[in-house]
Amino acid sequence: MTIYQIVLIVISFSFLFFAFKGFIEKEKGYSFFIFLTSLIIWSPIFILSVFPNLAQIITKKLGMGENLNTLIFIGFIFVFLILFKLINKIQELEKNITELVRKDSLNNWKKKF
Amino acid sequence: MSNNRIWIVIPVFNEANVILKVIQEIKKAGYQNIIVVDDGSSDDSFHKLKKTNVVLLRHKINRGKGAAVKTGIEAIKILGADIAITVDGDGQHNPNDIKNMLEKINQNYDVVLGTRLTNPQGMPWYKIIANYIGNFFTWIIYGLWVTDSQSGFRAYSKNALKKIDTQTDRYEYDSEIIKEIYRNKLKYTEIPIEVRYTDHSMNKKQKQGFINGIKTILKMILSN
Repeated sequence: MTIYQIVLIVISFSFLFFAFKGFIEKEKGYSFFIFLTSLIIWSPIFILSVFPNLAQIITKKLGMGENLNTLIFIGFIFVFLILFKLINKIQELEKNITELVRKDSLNNWKKKF
Repeated sequence: MSNNRIWIVIPVFNEANVILKVIQEIKKAGYQNIIVVDDGSSDDSFHKLKKTNVVLLRHKINRGKGAAVKTGIEAIKILGADIAITVDGDGQHNPNDIKNMLEKINQNYDVVLGTRLTNPQGMPWYKIIANYIGNFFTWIIYGLWVTDSQSGFRAYSKNALKKIDTQTDRYEYDSEIIKEIYRNKLKYTEIPIEVRYTDHSMNKKQKQGFINGIKTILKMILSN
């Protein structure tokens, strides 16, 4: 086992462990969505670090070069992270709009009574 | 408990055809404290409601059923409510069921959930299936199994009103309440309710259809 593999195993296992722990114990900030995201991103990294031959088998089966495969994988992670950030921002905006509309509605009502 | 501290909260969005009848029925059942939140209706709902003696609030733009119910609940907290009953504005709920809900609240339950599925007579088959799917996702995402996670006919005690803090705006609100029951360890029960599916409620544009159902599930996942 190479150092590169060991580092990846430790990192991916830590992320998976804390995501599981956070979700099961319902800690603040560890939502179902975060749990699912962690699982999708870190489980393949963990599995491929423990069984590196698996990547070669998959690459061969798919008929792709190893470098291209890695590039696509990294690309997916980036796109996913950007999407995640955007969705979060939109949700935050929606929440703020609702809060503004609610405050306006309650203030108008209070003025009348 | 006197009816003075019991408030009926009705979220309304484009219900001009039925809303006056809904209010009339509730009053006839003996409940005079009614708060209506018009959620940015583009029809005549708001003007019709202005002629009634209900407490009326208005969202300037449409923010969804959940947002409207939350605004109503914030308002009745200011009015010193002890019990809140949420009723849909399309007339599908029978106000005569309110007394059964109040009985349970008086038995020290924090939340009473009206359920359509113990007696789904007259309920279209696709709504029954959609409800089971909603229940399944509510259980997976929020951790509590209930027989009707999408029902809007519910009663809340003062303790529940104090503790429940929802963040979602649209139909996912009904499921988020289940999460809040679980999170705050509130004592809850379910009681069968009658649902009247009318042409009006079945043909509403803003009803929870298949695509909206998928959106609701996605929002439940994202907001959790």
